[in-house]
Amino acid sequence: MLEIRDIRTSYGKIAALKGVSLDIADGGLTCLLGPNGAGKTTLIWTIAGILKAHSGSMKLDGEEISGMRPHSIVSKGVVTVPENRLVFPEMTVKDNLIAGAFSRRKEKGGGLDDLEEVLERFPRLRERANQEAGTLSGGEQQMLAVGRALMARPKILLMDEPSTGLAPIIVEEIFEIIGRLRDEGRTIFLVEQNAHLALDYADHFYLLEQGHVTFGGRPGEVDHDELIQRAYLGARKAS
Amino acid sequence: MLLDIVQNTLDGLAIGSAYGLLAIGFTLIFGVMRRLNIAFGPSIMVGIFAGAWLHSQWSAGMIPVFLATLAGAVLASAYVERISFAAIRGDAALASMASSFAIWMQLEEAVVHVFPGRTYAFPTLQTIPMLEIGPVFLRPEYLAMFLTAAALILLLQWILTRTRFGLEVRTLADNPEAARVSGVNVAQVAFLTFLLAAVIGGVAGFLIAATDGQITPKIGLWATMKGLIAMVIGGLGSLRGALIGGLVLGVVEAQAQWFLGAAGREIVTYTLLFLALVMLPSGLAGRADAGARTEALRRL
Repeated sequence: MLEIRDIRTSYGKIAALKGVSLDIADGGLTCLLGPNGAGKTTLIWTIAGILKAHSGSMKLDGEEISGMRPHSIVSKGVVTVPENRLVFPEMTVKDNLIAGAFSRRKEKGGGLDDLEEVLERFPRLRERANQEAGTLSGGEQQMLAVGRALMARPKILLMDEPSTGLAPIIVEEIFEIIGRLRDEGRTIFLVEQNAHLALDYADHFYLLEQGHVTFGGRPGEVDHDELIQRAYLGARKAS
Repeated sequence: MLLDIVQNTLDGLAIGSAYGLLAIGFTLIFGVMRRLNIAFGPSIMVGIFAGAWLHSQWSAGMIPVFLATLAGAVLASAYVERISFAAIRGDAALASMASSFAIWMQLEEAVVHVFPGRTYAFPTLQTIPMLEIGPVFLRPEYLAMFLTAAALILLLQWILTRTRFGLEVRTLADNPEAARVSGVNVAQVAFLTFLLAAVIGGVAGFLIAATDGQITPKIGLWATMKGLIAMVIGGLGSLRGALIGGLVLGVVEAQAQWFLGAAGREIVTYTLLFLALVMLPSGLAGRADAGARTEALRRL
């Protein structure tokens, strides 16, 4: 489990996260909702170690990971599927997947033993294994980004806006993949704009507004419509 | 006349293969760091002087001189990387370039102080007789230069496509953000890439010095200029382009030298650079790659 306590991250003088605390529980899908500019992606980059928090703590099963460099955090098992997919466009699909196992290179077989399993999970990637990743469709690139992250055998999968820029039918497909990963007992932290869909899959959710966690709970406990309105538009003054 | 052109082309391809190695060294560093190391040539110069020193002190043979050249280039490059790149934030590209210029001056001054004369002798391969194939001549040192460069490029190709380190280098060149979230130790790969580039540059410097038989500290400036021009002609960031740029530069220079003389050669070289910048801003190989990238973006 990942415990995040009072994390503060700034871009220069502009504070993006103003003391964020939340828990990502083992074996479930925790979803982070919030309007644009709330700091959702900043939180993902901070957990991944690419942005440095200037205060607060992040404990993975009791071990402090705040301040570690990105590659160390990946070796600890916290692996990011970044927004806009970010695959390696000029490398083959297979090389993209092999790149996902960098953190496991010292293991027997170079940590590539999951390659077959990932190709099994995504038959479309197997068909295109020797194609350059830049030639894939958006949905296929998203599958590749997920497959690459799985190659690292993540304890926690951080997924940043997997639905961005994809056609609705592809988004459904991606969420089916996410649902399957959740059902396998994996721990997933999902940041998503598409609150409606995300709440269907989440075991737990948090609402991030203007750099603060303002609300959290289980999807069944709250009125989805009001929550979705806040997730898209931010908090309203009493009307 | 036609025979002259053939002869010049052969000579130019040999020299051009060494230019290609210099440009590949620049491109490796630029590809991984997105920053220009203009102290690359002077680092090679340090290596060449290390080799020349070994040669003059103990009249060392080719192999020890070769190893000393590589060692000197690698040590000087490691120093440049620590000071001008590792210690400077990744997004401050201009600061790294200015800093590597300062280190360039420092390296050049240091070498001038240790080797106060103007020129030093370097061992050559000229003891091997000239090869005659029909009407054209192949200088043995040119043949050695071309074959060594070809072997090194094949080795580099193997490293980049078949080893895990090579894959890491390619991920960093392709998409640095994605490389970081995939667990690439960016600082370590950048450092190792610097050393790899130093080895490639060191080989190029050795081949060039062993052809000329004499060296001056200005070879640092010369190597940086030739490498940069070849890289720009070929297309920034493409290894294939760097090689093509080097070969084109070598052949054009050899023709200009023969038909127009030394001054004419310089004019032609810089005209070529100018034309490359104006007419082919993405370089000879860059254009196709840029097209492929646009195509990939369009399909998203």
